[in-house]
Amino acid sequence: MTDDQRIEEFKQRIRDGHRVEAGDWMPDEYRFRVSRFIEMHANSEIMGALPERDWILRAPSLHRKLAVTAKIQDEVGHAQLLYRLVEDLGKPREQILADLIDGKSKFHNVFHYPTRSWGDVGIIAWLVDAAAVISQAALQRSSYGPYARVMRRICWEEAFHLKHGEDIVLTAVGGTPRQKALIQEALERWWEPLMMFYGPPTPAEQDKDLAWGIKSRPNEDLRQEFLGKYVKRIREIGLEIPDPALRFDEASGRWEYSPIDWEKLAQIGRGHGPASQQRLGFRRLSYEETGWVRQAVAGSVAEMVA
Amino acid sequence: MEVYEVFRQEKEGEAMVHVGSVDAPDAELAVQYAREVYSRRSEATRLWVVPRAAVMELDDADFLRPPIERTYRMGEGYRVTIAKRRQLQAREAGHGA
Repeated sequence: MTDDQRIEEFKQRIRDGHRVEAGDWMPDEYRFRVSRFIEMHANSEIMGALPERDWILRAPSLHRKLAVTAKIQDEVGHAQLLYRLVEDLGKPREQILADLIDGKSKFHNVFHYPTRSWGDVGIIAWLVDAAAVISQAALQRSSYGPYARVMRRICWEEAFHLKHGEDIVLTAVGGTPRQKALIQEALERWWEPLMMFYGPPTPAEQDKDLAWGIKSRPNEDLRQEFLGKYVKRIREIGLEIPDPALRFDEASGRWEYSPIDWEKLAQIGRGHGPASQQRLGFRRLSYEETGWVRQAVAGSVAEMVA
Repeated sequence: MEVYEVFRQEKEGEAMVHVGSVDAPDAELAVQYAREVYSRRSEATRLWVVPRAAVMELDDADFLRPPIERTYRMGEGYRVTIAKRRQLQAREAGHGA
């Protein structure tokens, strides 16, 4: 069988709904794409923990402090699960972490923005996690078996994140006018990153990750689902969404919204977001400062062998 | 660093289910990492942590699912039995009438 025939047979297996496992033969393009996709997801989990950790010491109550800490623990745990998958696809851990710090690999747009107040903590935990839950639910049908299985665990853990975030928002919105204003202000800053979260509305036939079954739903479908679920929930508690053009068009059954600057998203992805360099700098510092832990862990084997 | 596969029993009496893997330099840390990554919320009553090198994987379709018809040892091979019973029931009912 020629390589082309083998690749075609592999593509047909994916179209037939079969799963690919770590030890299976894969076309180079599939291996490259699925590895990059999972790596970006893993990077996002660890880079997502960074803005949140700032708020452990600033949480308004012990309960919130414990909940934020537990959420961060989960995010780092998710990164561990996902980095393990990337390693099984052939990329060593040291290379993965170096590429992140050096800006050679990416992480999701929402983690390139600063957090300014407790309002951000609530909005992120509620709406950013809500957006992630929608894409992660779809990823449970990924053609790559190990990834689909990990997504089930991640979805289960994310369920509490959403509720914790919603609870923060509802508590503040139901509090003093100043507390409500804190949430409203945060929503205004986070609406644009949220609308960009799923990426450009690439037509399904041009989306290669979709063609390989790595993703199972097109970007715009996910965004429409997010809007369908959350616009009402945001508005019904008295918050205003800062997009005057946002409306549901009955005739087409689609949400319409102000045009999104996709070039801006591309720039952010390349590390030009408002907090990108600061966060990567902190990641680099953290990696350097914890070098002694990695040495001690690796060294324990060296000592035994010596 | 070695890879260890992790199996988890969620509730007493259930089967051990594969949940993923961890990297660790030795067995002692593998156990700690496995608990942290796969049972952080007390999801396990039991964990098995096994070096990947100890796991033998078989995925040869000819070996696992030989393409030979063996309906004589599968329940579906005996659907005809139902038809035979109906025929006899009808025959006996015919005699009684």
